Amino acid sequence: MLKSNNIQIAKVHLTSKIWQTFVAVLGVTFGVSMYIFMNSFMNGVNKAQDDLAFRALAHVRIYNQDNKNDYNPIESQFDLSKTIINILNRKNIQYTSGLKNSSAIVSLVKKQPEVVAVSRQVNSSVFFRSGSKQVNGVVSGVELKSEDELYNTSLTVIQGEWNNLLKYKTGIILGKLLAERLGLQINNSINVLTSEGVSKNYIVVGIFESNLKTMDETKAYLNIMAARQLVGESSDYASDIMVNIKEKENTANYIQKIAPLVPFQVESWQEANEQLVAGSELRNIIAVAVSLTILLVAGFGIYNIMTMTINEKIKEIAILKALGFSGSDIMTIFITQAAVIGIFGALVGVILGYGISLLINMIPFTIAGMDTLPIFFQTKDFLFAVVFGILTTLIAGYLPSIKASKIDPVIIIRG
Amino acid sequence: MENTTSIEIRNLIKYFHEPETFQVLKGVSFTVNKGQFLSIVGKSGSGKSTLLYVLSTMDTDYEGTLQINGELLTGKTQNQLAAFRNEHIGFVFQFHYLLPEFSALQNVMLPALKLGKLSAEEIEHKAYESLRLLDLQGQELKNAKRLSGGQQQRVAIARALINSPSVIMGDEPTGNLDTKNSKAVQDIFKQLAHEYGQTIICVTHDPDFANNTDKIIEMKDGLIV
Ligand SMILES: Nc1ncnc2c1ncn2[C@@H]1O[C@H](COP(=O)(O)OP(=O)(O)OP(=O)(O)O)[C@@H](O)[C@H]1O
Ligand SMILES: [Mg+2]
Repeated sequence: MLKSNNIQIAKVHLTSKIWQTFVAVLGVTFGVSMYIFMNSFMNGVNKAQDDLAFRALAHVRIYNQDNKNDYNPIESQFDLSKTIINILNRKNIQYTSGLKNSSAIVSLVKKQPEVVAVSRQVNSSVFFRSGSKQVNGVVSGVELKSEDELYNTSLTVIQGEWNNLLKYKTGIILGKLLAERLGLQINNSINVLTSEGVSKNYIVVGIFESNLKTMDETKAYLNIMAARQLVGESSDYASDIMVNIKEKENTANYIQKIAPLVPFQVESWQEANEQLVAGSELRNIIAVAVSLTILLVAGFGIYNIMTMTINEKIKEIAILKALGFSGSDIMTIFITQAAVIGIFGALVGVILGYGISLLINMIPFTIAGMDTLPIFFQTKDFLFAVVFGILTTLIAGYLPSIKASKIDPVIIIRG
Repeated sequence: MENTTSIEIRNLIKYFHEPETFQVLKGVSFTVNKGQFLSIVGKSGSGKSTLLYVLSTMDTDYEGTLQINGELLTGKTQNQLAAFRNEHIGFVFQFHYLLPEFSALQNVMLPALKLGKLSAEEIEHKAYESLRLLDLQGQELKNAKRLSGGQQQRVAIARALINSPSVIMGDEPTGNLDTKNSKAVQDIFKQLAHEYGQTIICVTHDPDFANNTDKIIEMKDGLIV
């Protein structure tokens, strides 16, 4: 009864100056919709960037390379302060890189529940030769099915087919720019020369375009068996094992579990690509900073409007108090108004933000494999926008209503 | 013996400090009995309104004591006084002071809705009754700002009556009314005092009004003469 009375008064205030209410609602709507749009756009950009990057990047990479150059058997045996050591012409013995028994590691790695796909690769730097042209690059021997699970590589093949590598033992799939530089087309033959001096001929059975320039310029795919033959390794050899897990952000957790079991280097994509992580973090910071500023400015607008309303109604507040309304009744009246403005503004803001984002998503933008400007919606952005929008309005209404609740009626009524 | 004292003030002193310190009330004491219809008269600027604001509990910045219905009100908090006013005091201001965006009916109903002792339907019925009594039929649903000065004043009187308060105070409650309406208001006040035992205190400049009351208090320069 008592409460509904105050709410009734709030309603009269809101509806009697409908234009003012509308402007206040508009302030919240603007803040909330810009927040949603900014964040959805930044998410879209991040996602497009990730999609592009993860065409060539696995979440976790297991490999075996010589990176211990500091091993010194003599110095570790003697007390340095009392011994003078002079080693002449020191040389490292050959280090066996690559994984000889890769299937054992694959089955070990696959046991974790969060693993989505595992693929073995045999990577090697080579010279591609066609007639008088010679280009250096990388051949990647891959397990066709799991490689496709990992990167959706089959989708990037623009001529020929991904599975041609299974059908033709001497088949090779070239990057688009690489094929152009060598002047090669489908069904042409190409010579590959390894750093060990092995030379072999292959038939171009496909051409891919990943939209990553370095990849399209230098990379070629072989079947993993063909690649093992090329580098002269046994049938269980792999140079890299690539693993994708469910949540790409959770690599640290996964690596912690498998690193002790695998006697090789285990590297997350974050370690290998710090610039990628930094880029998306920075974009997120910008998005949050800009949208919080917008909400804050909207908050000030609401604060102003609420202060104005209360100053305008100061006489009415005095009358209500003279009639026996308490300070908390007055606060209820004005906070109710703020809440209505906040809730209404936030809801309209959600719809508007969603609409603006959809519109932006239709603007053509054809760079790096995109068709339109990217937008990616996340429930948490919508929730946060609504909560923050309502909260700002409540705070903006709360401060002036404290002032209103403290008005001394007799001063106003005496005139 | 039954307690018949409605209002009792002892040695009321009030200063204004702006623009310079100035003593408005210089030690006013009196008692008003329940069911008494009292008028306060005096020259303009003699402190009548100031005294009434103290009596109404809205002004708390004074020296001396104020008791209504045996309850000491001096020293209570603003919120306690607001609740007390809501239930026990009806007030008609010198300048009518309605809520302009609310209808006449809503203005009258507000104090009763705040008190919350009756249902909304009962309150509405009661409000229609008092508006009719004050000759405001047909004006109930008009916004207060669209009423004439005299109509507004009568709405304010109806509002002061709605909670059947034990004390009704008016600062020139008939100042804007013609003789006929003024007489009607006086009759209503008289009836409330004598039949229902409500105490009525009115500041007035109208000698006819004053002569129609049970007791006249005259003020001069902040003192009762
Ligand atoms: N807010 C104020 N600040 C300073 N002085 C005031 C204030 N209100 C009233 N006064 C002074 O106090 C004195 C009494 O004022 P008050 O309003 O009580 O007179 P009144 O008897 O009601 O007069 P009227 O019949 O004209 O309404 C006057 O001299 C007035 O100037
Ligand atoms: Mg006066």
